[in-house]
Amino acid sequence: MHRNVPALRRSLLTTALLATPLFAAADTGAGVDTWRASKLDPTAGAASATPDPRGTSWLSPGQRRSPGGMLYLCPAEPPDLTDAGDWAWYGNVQFGYLSTSGDDGNALWNRYVAWDSGLVLGLLQLSARRAADGSYADVRANRTSEDDAFFEAAFGRAGSYKVQAFLRELPNVLSHNAKPIWNGVGTNALTLPANLSPAGSTTEQVAAASAATPERTLKVTRSKQGVGFDMFLSPQWTVHANFSDEERNGARPFGGAFYYGFAFPDNAAVFETTKPIDDRTINLGAALRYAGPVWRMDFAYAGSFYRDRYTRYTYENPFALTPIVPGATSPPLVRGQFATEPDNGYHNLRATFTRKLPWNGEASLTASAGQMRQNDALIAPIDCTGTFGIDGDGSGVPGPNNPFLYSCAQWNTPAALSRPRADLAIDTTRVDARATLQPGERFTLRAGATFNRDDYRGTYLAYNPLTGDYGYITENGAAGSLVPGAVGTWNPLTSPSAIVRVRNLPLDRETTSANLGADFRASEHNTFGATASFKRDERTNRERERADTSSVKLTWINRALAGVTLRANATWLKRRGDDYVYDPYGFTYSTSLPGFVPPPDGVPSFTVDAMRKYDLADVDETKFDVMATLALAADMTLSATVRGDRNDYDAQIGRQRYDTLGATLQWEWQPSPATRASAYFGYDMSRLDLANVGDVNTTPDPTLGGANYPDSARWWSTDRQHNRNAGFTLDRSVGRWRFDAAWNALYARGITDFRFNSGSALAYFADSIGGIRDGAFPALKYRVDSVTVGATYAWSERWSVRVFDLVERGRIEDWHYFGFDAERAFGRRIYTDGGPEDYRANLIGVLVDVKL
Amino acid sequence: MVRWILFAQRCARRAAVCAMLAAGIANAQPATDAARDLPASNLSADDAQAGASRFLAAPGFARATVAVNPAAPGATPVGEKTCIACHQLESEHFTHTLHALGLHAASKADPSIPVCETCHGPGSAHARDPQQAGLIIGYTRTSGTPIAVQTKTCLTCHAGGARDHWLGSIHQRNELSCSDCHNPMAKFSGDGLLARRSIDETCAQCHKDVRVQFDRRSHMPLPEGKMSCVDCHNPHGSLTEPLLKTNTVNETCYQCHAEKRGPFLFEHAPVRDNCLTCHTPHGSNQHALLVAPVPFLCQQCHAQTGHPNELQTPNSLGNGRHPDERLMGRACLTCHAQIHGSNAPSGPKFHE
Repeated sequence: MHRNVPALRRSLLTTALLATPLFAAADTGAGVDTWRASKLDPTAGAASATPDPRGTSWLSPGQRRSPGGMLYLCPAEPPDLTDAGDWAWYGNVQFGYLSTSGDDGNALWNRYVAWDSGLVLGLLQLSARRAADGSYADVRANRTSEDDAFFEAAFGRAGSYKVQAFLRELPNVLSHNAKPIWNGVGTNALTLPANLSPAGSTTEQVAAASAATPERTLKVTRSKQGVGFDMFLSPQWTVHANFSDEERNGARPFGGAFYYGFAFPDNAAVFETTKPIDDRTINLGAALRYAGPVWRMDFAYAGSFYRDRYTRYTYENPFALTPIVPGATSPPLVRGQFATEPDNGYHNLRATFTRKLPWNGEASLTASAGQMRQNDALIAPIDCTGTFGIDGDGSGVPGPNNPFLYSCAQWNTPAALSRPRADLAIDTTRVDARATLQPGERFTLRAGATFNRDDYRGTYLAYNPLTGDYGYITENGAAGSLVPGAVGTWNPLTSPSAIVRVRNLPLDRETTSANLGADFRASEHNTFGATASFKRDERTNRERERADTSSVKLTWINRALAGVTLRANATWLKRRGDDYVYDPYGFTYSTSLPGFVPPPDGVPSFTVDAMRKYDLADVDETKFDVMATLALAADMTLSATVRGDRNDYDAQIGRQRYDTLGATLQWEWQPSPATRASAYFGYDMSRLDLANVGDVNTTPDPTLGGANYPDSARWWSTDRQHNRNAGFTLDRSVGRWRFDAAWNALYARGITDFRFNSGSALAYFADSIGGIRDGAFPALKYRVDSVTVGATYAWSERWSVRVFDLVERGRIEDWHYFGFDAERAFGRRIYTDGGPEDYRANLIGVLVDVKL
Repeated sequence: MVRWILFAQRCARRAAVCAMLAAGIANAQPATDAARDLPASNLSADDAQAGASRFLAAPGFARATVAVNPAAPGATPVGEKTCIACHQLESEHFTHTLHALGLHAASKADPSIPVCETCHGPGSAHARDPQQAGLIIGYTRTSGTPIAVQTKTCLTCHAGGARDHWLGSIHQRNELSCSDCHNPMAKFSGDGLLARRSIDETCAQCHKDVRVQFDRRSHMPLPEGKMSCVDCHNPHGSLTEPLLKTNTVNETCYQCHAEKRGPFLFEHAPVRDNCLTCHTPHGSNQHALLVAPVPFLCQQCHAQTGHPNELQTPNSLGNGRHPDERLMGRACLTCHAQIHGSNAPSGPKFHE
């Protein structure tokens, strides 16, 4: 099944793009697309601009400092303008050649870049100005490689209107060592090669096919274009509009449904397939704004429309399925399937009214309403022909004498569903009111309240009118093929005790919050602040209907010491709530249906009653954040941050603790326009503690320490992450030469250790033999060292050439992929992605810069 | 040495003031300077009509007036040429900004519209005593102008819109000035008249601890120049903590990940609730910005009877004694691949 974006709509879009004045809004208040640059120069040209050797001012040497204490940069040399009638223009083009070597195909090296050897357009910049009326036009473009490029253009009149457009290609290399055994990667039909038979290949044949598959790159490229328009209707009224259209194309490693390989290693199978990415998102935004001396108003609309080319994708299964019933057989199951994300639409309307108040204050009221909606056609419960399940009597005919064999015709069609389309929506409502008063120069009062509500619209009952069964087909039939009664359906007559999912889960949420705060300027250089907040979250169909979070935050800003700015804050937060219901999901299961007959031993407990999910559990949080900026000398700045966050969760089972602590130190030096240097060091760590418990039985007892979840099966784990960052940059001009150097390093190390009470806690009891009660996974390491050195020679005022070398070495050890370098077939587990790998790559570039 | 520099500075300033006053202010700059072509204003010269424009002032600048400086109540406007007499180099850099383009055009169309003094307030007191801090509205640490006056001056023209919720925002309460992030006196950045070369570098002045997270194994394409902090955050104030541009965390994520919006036939409750339940937005050493390694990430919540609650050991790794798909590669997500929600009628376990 396949959805084509109508050709007419594409034509209309193209026409609109050509006809609409080009431009795309970069608004800090709404929307994305606020920055376009390349990794060659993430500053979009500012880094390559030559500092003005005259400095900033004739009146004072050096750079002044911002109010916060940071040194301002030395401005670039003013551009040389060329007159063209009323207009004057300037620009430059930077082009050249890049050469990559080493492990230059590595996914980590190419993340969001896709480096390639060849000619590049480093940057094209053109600017034109008409001083007479303030009109301007700007163009900027880059092409690093085929999938890594942008073009943007803007024109307008300062203070009047602005029209802007952009085109952008953004690569995302996800794997450089993928070995998918299927043909058709990137399409919605993955088929096996000729040397493998669907549902008829042996483990050895599949392993051989996997080994023989050459490594390839999997990537997804985002191609986006946008236009936008801003205009002053009057000095008070402005209007804004923007439109963007993004297509994603490619393939990514994805899962593959089947059954428990760990439990049935000779019967089931596990796949890592490739998912096709072929979709499109259109975003719209518009606003009408008024800013007067007393009132301000803002009326805004945001819309977003997602369309996937496919509603599903399928993959062929190479393995034959064998039921666990001795002597029985299963019909071949040729294909598995995944639904893709549904097409969806989003609308949001917002209005804000703000009025100035006495005491230099303001009051603001914002109301917004929106809807997220999808009504995709639902795919059939299974993709098969003939029969599926367990052919118990060997007849190949489903019926009372062959109860675990099913007819595909009754399940491989949307007619097997209670309704053909999803028809789901979430309505959102938000009202926000806030006020600020400044009754004196030293005193500020703040208050705010917010109401937010998500109403989930639509319920789905999994019912097959063709069979009278409730539920679904587990694992595309593999489960039914393996284990009698595990097909995933409930029937009041034939399987009245089956416990299966039969309903969707509507998730309504309502949040009410309020805060009250004050800031007091105790002296010219000292300000103290305090804020008390309260939030009530009310959710349906979650473990807790109500969760209340209260917090107090204290702040201190100090500028008393010359050259020092200190900002510090501390927050104490507490979340509590009503009773925690460990299993609120019973209504979505067949146990809630009339006619359900509990099994002889009762309905097994769904989970342990001591579990406290951390998004709802009681928690005490303490966090602090300190930032300081210090002027070490007139041309030198040192700044530092220290922050910490401690979270204690009241959970015997679940997340128990999550702490973070970090510090950074950065140094900047600008002794002259010709020299600039900086260095930084950062360290941070996190610690995450969790507890869980294995189950040893299937009784109704949910208690921790009970029959199902005995203390002997309890286990604990701690994950510790440590990150160290360091870097240094130097930019130095000497005559016609300019030299630049940068070094950046990251060393991350994570350790996950565990302890357990007995082998009952383990997936494999044998791992506890010998009295082992604890252990740790190998360190998860990621280390990157990156060095760039460059030299620029200006052989005239117009022409210069830059030669640079970027050397990067990355080392990674991720235990998830241990063993994947040797093989991707582990029995009947077939993997595609080989995981991240070490690399050492080199990029040499020669870029000629011409001032136009 | 420092005293010599300070002495030289004082001499230079005084010489400039003397030159300005002696030369009758208006012709104090070389003829070759770009500033020569700047329009006159009725505040400083008598040739205002001669420079009149054939265009009307743009609406955004039509009501620009001389800023109010409470620290110089008796000061009067002196006009741009007077300012340039001393601040010639600043003017050269400023001339190429969008502010200058608009103000110059507006001033030419309506000579009552000031240029420098729109932002810096009336200059006469400053011209008389340039060493005295505060007599002109300055945007530097030592300018003597209170931060509240600085921001109020900027908001005279830039009120509303993206800055609608500046008052009471975390940056306002931390006494940031507009000029901590912006420097409209020259073109330092490709867009936005920023104080640093890009949005990210500007934010990293204070938030270096966040910036370094983007160097981790999984991150959004910010270091590569493909997005900026402002794609998600509005530094000018917003209704959603922490300065998010939309009503919720999830709506912020959906701006680029619209496929995750749904709603789905089968929802994963914490996913619908908040993407940050499992992901950390600024960078992670795990795959896909995950907070913790799978399967332990999932086992913080999943203790169900069956297989999710079992502790795996390194023996279950691909090179271990008993490789197990619940630990290898994508771990839980190998089978529960549709973890963000499934639209398949057979997908309640996010298997399909």
